[in-house]
Amino acid sequence: MLKLENLCAGYGKLDVLWDVSIEINEGEFVAIVGPNGAGKTTTMRAISGMIKPKSGSIVFNDVNLEKKSMKDIHDLGVSFITDGGNLFPSMTVKENLYMGALSIKDKTKRDQLFEKCLGLFPRLGERLSQPAGLMSGGERKMLGIARGLMSDPKLMLVDEPSLGLAPAVVLDVFKTLKMLSRNGVIILLVEQNVNTTLKIVDRAYILEQGKIRGQGTSKELLASDYVQRTYLGIE
Amino acid sequence: MLNILLSGILRGGMYMLIALGLALVYGVMGIPNFAHGEYYLFGAYATYFALTYLGVSPVIAILIGAAVGFIFGCIIERLTFAPLRKRNTGEWVTNAFMIGAGIQLIIQNGVQYLFTANYYGVTQLFEGGIKLGGINVSYDRIVAFAIAIAALALFWLFLKKTKTGISILAVADDEVGAMLMGVDIKKIHTLTYGMSSMLAALAGGALISMTPAYPLMGTAPNLAAWFTVILVGVGNLSAVAVGGLMVGIIEVTATYFFGAQWQNVVSLGIIIIILIFKPNGLFGRKSKV
Amino acid sequence: MKNELYNRLSAPLKKIGLSPLSVAAFILLALFPFVSPNAYITKLGITCIMWGTLAMGFDFSVGYINVSNWGYAGLMGLGAYVSALLLKFFDITPWAGMIIAGCTAAAIGFVIAVLTMRMDAMFTALLAWFVGIVLQNIVTALPEITRGAMGLNVKPIFRGASPTPYYYLILAICILTFCVLHIFVNSKFGFSFKALGQDIEAAKAIGISPFKYRTINFVVSCFVAGLVGGFYGHYIGVLSPNVLGTKNVVQILVIAYIGGRGSIWGPLLASFLLMPIFESMNSLVEIKYIIYGLVLIISMIFFPGGICKLPEKVRQIIKDRKK
Repeated sequence: MLKLENLCAGYGKLDVLWDVSIEINEGEFVAIVGPNGAGKTTTMRAISGMIKPKSGSIVFNDVNLEKKSMKDIHDLGVSFITDGGNLFPSMTVKENLYMGALSIKDKTKRDQLFEKCLGLFPRLGERLSQPAGLMSGGERKMLGIARGLMSDPKLMLVDEPSLGLAPAVVLDVFKTLKMLSRNGVIILLVEQNVNTTLKIVDRAYILEQGKIRGQGTSKELLASDYVQRTYLGIE
Repeated sequence: MLNILLSGILRGGMYMLIALGLALVYGVMGIPNFAHGEYYLFGAYATYFALTYLGVSPVIAILIGAAVGFIFGCIIERLTFAPLRKRNTGEWVTNAFMIGAGIQLIIQNGVQYLFTANYYGVTQLFEGGIKLGGINVSYDRIVAFAIAIAALALFWLFLKKTKTGISILAVADDEVGAMLMGVDIKKIHTLTYGMSSMLAALAGGALISMTPAYPLMGTAPNLAAWFTVILVGVGNLSAVAVGGLMVGIIEVTATYFFGAQWQNVVSLGIIIIILIFKPNGLFGRKSKV
Repeated sequence: MKNELYNRLSAPLKKIGLSPLSVAAFILLALFPFVSPNAYITKLGITCIMWGTLAMGFDFSVGYINVSNWGYAGLMGLGAYVSALLLKFFDITPWAGMIIAGCTAAAIGFVIAVLTMRMDAMFTALLAWFVGIVLQNIVTALPEITRGAMGLNVKPIFRGASPTPYYYLILAICILTFCVLHIFVNSKFGFSFKALGQDIEAAKAIGISPFKYRTINFVVSCFVAGLVGGFYGHYIGVLSPNVLGTKNVVQILVIAYIGGRGSIWGPLLASFLLMPIFESMNSLVEIKYIIYGLVLIISMIFFPGGICKLPEKVRQIIKDRKK
């Protein structure tokens, strides 16, 4: 279980998140939606250890993450897939994927994960020896997600998976993530694309200007006046 | 002609080692290391003292020199560059130069204070030599070159085949990406810097019978290493080996035809000519995605 | 200072690169030789003004287009030798010699800027460093012309042993440099420089040509180095290749860094604080250099923005305490 309580975070003097509280249980597929600059990426950065929160707590499976290093948080089973991907451009697709499994000691397990990833993203299997720097935007996104899977994570933080992907691919990716969540992985998405997101995820939080404005199941949110007006363009 | 080529290759072999370390630190840590020559110095002094006071065999002495370089590299990294990185600012370039100058001042003057400005050298490590194409080549030169090649090969294997080595390359490619993979960044930085110093020290130790140890000995190798990095194009690790050989040959040829004092002028001239036609260096820069 | 008189004076003065404060400072400096107790102190003043001018020229590049010119001492030394040799071999008066020295340095700066136009600041700094070293090599390697390490005697500009005329000459150069650099900085050039220094892509996007402005900035900066170098030769009276060495680059860097980047006047002020200290370090004791090295490293780590940012830091700390 992932629980954020009264999280305040920011960059230097700039405060971005105010009193953010979120709770996600195993097997849940949850999204944080909101406009640009709301603080969604900042939330993920705080959970993954990229930035240290100013106050509040982050607890994952009974372990406090606020003071831990990125490496320790990663080793606890947290995988953060950034929107840029942070791929290794001079390494091939295969090498990138294997880097994802850096913390996996068992070679057999690593190879199994590798096969699993290729099964989920067959396009990558066709390009194993291609340097990541030469791939298209969509392929890079897929590689980013696949690489994030290679560490056999218990919690996946995915930043804007739909950005830059063709709609059909987006649906595929979302379906894959949903399936992963049903297998016990906690998946936390961050998205601007409210419409598609709410059709797939179980629950969502609405983050605006660093504060949680609302939350609920996808059904509830899709039906709410506020969401319809603000994010779906329905008057 | 052959003599020049042989001398150039020998010198180039050493430059390959030194330049590789420099390029690695720059690529992985983003720091231009201006005190790199001082690790060459550590290797030379350590090897000399190991030979004369510990009485070990030459190869052991050279390895001791390399180990000393590694240790000092790690210590200096922890003391200077690690804290600097914590306070990360955009003024890397100037700050790095100043820190390098500071380290240089401390080491050069410290060594001079402890050991005076005298030259500490040995006449030879191994007796005899062989004839290559009619030219006498001493075993010392051959052993030094062999050590350089062996070290390069081992290091290459380390970088490409071990998890730690691959992590180092990953950090050079995308530091955030590496951190996201669970790489221990602090350890990698220290290790990279230490290994870079080790390579330079190895070169310094291997050449002890040809270049005695003295306080200012690091200046020339430092410059040659930087020439190599610029010539080859920043960010290119594999090409650095070739570049090192090239600079070695260029320097020896220049010295032969124009005299030692024109060596740098010729090197710079060639770099300028190459820059005119290939502004990104001979082999170009790495692309960042 | 919302003083009416101050404001009315500021505007016209700003047009020529000055301010009431700097005019007052320069007037004080101009009066200095009259109150100076002896020739040594006046000479110290000359040294401070000279290195301060160099630091201003250096800061013009580093503080604005973010290019650290590590060959700066080499260019200054080049200027010194050019002016000295022109006088020695061609009887060209130092007054012209200094200008030619500046132009020579500027020309080399132009070449460096053109060669590295597509590269980043780090690369330019490195190439400038190489050029500085090679210049030093060339000077040492041509003893028939430059007398290399044996030292070149330079005929002074003024007759007599009094340092006072030199003082006024370097002060004039300093004020001229100060004004010209400030005029640049306050003009659209300055705006372009700063934009390039901060974000080349963004600057390009609004139509600022990196090539044009970086080159102009770098060339002007190098001219200052050559000009002051020309003066240096005729003032000191003897030149050696050491003038072009890294030690002097570090000295200029330290002054510019302590003075604070991007202020022009900061480095000049810092020179008056630091040069007396540097002068006292001229005796070759290793321990002094070790301490100097430690100070360099520690200040780089703990004060990366320069010690002149310290009052700002203190103000922030006080503000935060008040909250």
